[in-house]
Amino acid sequence: MNGQKRANDEVVMEVRNLKKYFPIKAGIFGRVVGQVRAVDGVSFRIRRGTTMGLVGESGCGKTTVGKTLLRLNDKTSGEVLFKGTEIFELGRSELRHLRPQIQIIFQDPYSSLSPRMPVGEIIGEAVREHNLVPESEFDDYITKIMRSCGLQPYHKDRYPHEFSGGQRQRICIARALALNPDFIVCDEPVSALDVSIQAQIINLLEDLQKEFGLTYLFISHDLSVVEHISDTVGVMYLGDMVEYGAKEDVFAKPLHPYTRALFSAIPVPDPTVKMNRIILEGSIPSPANPPAGCKFHTRCRDCMEICRHEAPKRFDAGNEHYVVCHLYGK
Amino acid sequence: METRNKGSFGTQKLDDERRVRVLSPGMLVFKRFVRNKLAITGLVILIVMFAFSFLGGLFSPYTQAQVFKHDEAIMKEYATCMLNTDLRYTVRKGAEFPDAAHAQAALAITQGNPSFTYGDRTYSLVKEGEDFYTIGDAIKIVEARTLANKFSLSAVKDSAFTISPAFAAAAQTAITAGAAQFKADGDVYTVVNAGKTSAIYHVESIALATKNVYDPYEEQYKDIATDFGFRYASELALSKGKTQFSFDGANYSYETIDGDIVVSKDENGTAVAVCTISDMLVSSKANDIFLSSQEKSLIRNAIRAKETEFVIQDAAGANVEYRIDRVNQTYTVRTLTESRVITMYEFPTAAHLLGTDSNGMDVMTRLMYGGRISLMVGFVVVFLETFLGIVMGGISGYFGGWIDTAIMRFVDLFNCIPFYPIVMIIGTVMDKMEIDPIKRIFILMAVLGILGWTSIARVVRGQILSLREQDFMVATEATGIRVSRKIFKHLVPNVMPLLIVQATMSLGGIIITEATLSFLGLGVKYPLASWGSIINAATNVHIMTNYWFIWIPAGMLIVLTVLGFNFVGDGLRDAFDPKMKR
Repeated sequence: MNGQKRANDEVVMEVRNLKKYFPIKAGIFGRVVGQVRAVDGVSFRIRRGTTMGLVGESGCGKTTVGKTLLRLNDKTSGEVLFKGTEIFELGRSELRHLRPQIQIIFQDPYSSLSPRMPVGEIIGEAVREHNLVPESEFDDYITKIMRSCGLQPYHKDRYPHEFSGGQRQRICIARALALNPDFIVCDEPVSALDVSIQAQIINLLEDLQKEFGLTYLFISHDLSVVEHISDTVGVMYLGDMVEYGAKEDVFAKPLHPYTRALFSAIPVPDPTVKMNRIILEGSIPSPANPPAGCKFHTRCRDCMEICRHEAPKRFDAGNEHYVVCHLYGK
Repeated sequence: METRNKGSFGTQKLDDERRVRVLSPGMLVFKRFVRNKLAITGLVILIVMFAFSFLGGLFSPYTQAQVFKHDEAIMKEYATCMLNTDLRYTVRKGAEFPDAAHAQAALAITQGNPSFTYGDRTYSLVKEGEDFYTIGDAIKIVEARTLANKFSLSAVKDSAFTISPAFAAAAQTAITAGAAQFKADGDVYTVVNAGKTSAIYHVESIALATKNVYDPYEEQYKDIATDFGFRYASELALSKGKTQFSFDGANYSYETIDGDIVVSKDENGTAVAVCTISDMLVSSKANDIFLSSQEKSLIRNAIRAKETEFVIQDAAGANVEYRIDRVNQTYTVRTLTESRVITMYEFPTAAHLLGTDSNGMDVMTRLMYGGRISLMVGFVVVFLETFLGIVMGGISGYFGGWIDTAIMRFVDLFNCIPFYPIVMIIGTVMDKMEIDPIKRIFILMAVLGILGWTSIARVVRGQILSLREQDFMVATEATGIRVSRKIFKHLVPNVMPLLIVQATMSLGGIIITEATLSFLGLGVKYPLASWGSIINAATNVHIMTNYWFIWIPAGMLIVLTVLGFNFVGDGLRDAFDPKMKR
């Protein structure tokens, strides 16, 4: 499967040094007194038909990256190239035409469906809006999409409140899929679901990827899910991507101390194995006031003097495996 | 293909999902609402109220401002009688003796002065007898002209003076000599020179003051009884103790009957009573009653005899009873009179199911018409409020940023306006401008609507702000749906339930506000009715304690209607609440 994917080298989504700062306003005139550095220089590229897993703690900027790729946020600097086009340079109508090609699946299947609209309408609304299929084939098209997402055609007339969480997530997937996208941002699509449903949804996403040749950015804090679905993995800490590489490389040979600490927390389904956990001290610092030097130095086991003053550079460990740490490259 | 099987249970398993009936959110809300007993009770109350107000007026046999009257015998004032202790003045016809000069005359009489001044004139005062004075004034009687040495005299039109040859000669001598006075025919005349014309004045009595009251015996003698000359002659005779006098070529004689002096005219040997002279003033209280001298004497005699009741035979021969009440020196004579009166405070009968109010109007009919206004005001105001609230709140919430800030500060400003003072001021201004009652209602609606939209604007804004951040709104952005569709297909349907609840709940509030304003007299004005203005009658303690049927029903209607709106509002809120599954 992987070999097949690698063969296609077309880069669908490329992000170069993306930064997104949210201003902190204060006072009656809304003066900007500081900035939350939600995303602080992230770069990666995702090839057609592959899945990139994006992992990290809560509040490290994963979701902001995802939303910025859809231009649901403005960016502060950097580049977001979709099939080589900078999406932040598009005009209104160009952007509207591009919209169907990049879709998003939200974490919460309850708030992502309008409660006063029947399911068929939710799925087909944007299809009609963009005239993707002729009116005569519309019903069949929606039926086809619903079937491929594991929904029954008679669900069309029902309202979201009549569905379970897993079914709602299928509706969300169907809504995204109906627009025939190239790239889907899956923003923690399974974290709100129970484990058996999680597996169904993950399998559905994998099946759809094979069937339609989709490219995913899979945002999650669940490492085992990411290990299962991803081809490449990015690890984020406080707005920085500290490690990035092929899944096999990152999981087999994590380089960054944060990645290692993170991976040591993956439970092993074998009671005889003694887990060698790396416990991180303290909590994640505020992205409004990140530590100087390496942002991770306050919690790092291998912290050196240089880490406190100087931000580390990106180190290429070969095979597109990058790490941002002072331990390497010197 | 599956859809074709819909409804045919034969092909479906027992646990087939398709057996579950699909309900739209609207249907679900309706079903939940119908199951709520309280809400249905409220709905029934409201339907009854609407039928009562809007259909009731069509079936009521009366109009809202129809005044009912009936005939009733009531003790009506017939006459008043006063012991006369003041000097009364009789003024000669054509002479000028203004009322204001009476006081000066009275002062001169008490001080014993022979003359007094009023304005630029000096009047002489002569005591002719006991309580009998004459007031004299120099009256211009003759005008003298000297044109080219020709002397001419002419009498002033109004005066009855005739120029005698002796007078003419004396006048000419006096004027040529430049004398100020001259005597002729035993009288003294005064000359005032003004160039070629001279005026000759003569002092004559212009008024007399006496305490006697003259009442004509019959209506035809009214003129003679009030005539200055007649009275002067009569008073002169009385003061000299004579029993008869003559005036204007006729002989009159006195006769004392029951303390009154009757003046009779001698007409070819028979004495015809002309008037009576007494010390009591009797005057009729009703315009259409002429009190004859006999009636007056009867009243006087009854009073002199200190009676409290007396009986007079009227023209038809029936005995009419009169009652006398005394207050100080004034006696009031009352009698039962049949008259048409307004049917006030009539207790409930078959004709007036809830009686009549203080204006003699049917309370039931006024409640019906009042209900129309109260309910209409409620609906129009809520519509206005909601419309303004949606527009302002929607703009504020959807666009955000400085527009939001500006609108919300404007809302804050509006909330700072003290409601009742403003409404009272507007009410007073409308009173002052005497605005038509119907226009007044429209102005009231507009004012209530304009002062009340802020809370709805806040709710709408809050709702839209929270919806805007919901994932499904982000999804519409991500799928590239156009703005109008976002607003009308995604935002509005999700704001609507809350608005419906809010509007229903505030309907009750508006009706109460309108009732309060009308109760305070600032809202709906007579002759139009509203439930609040009907209750206003209860501010009168007498009505509140004695005539429950005037204000209790209006109060009950307000309570029931507001309760109805609140029940329905509560029911809608519960029905719209997604947490209430069934």
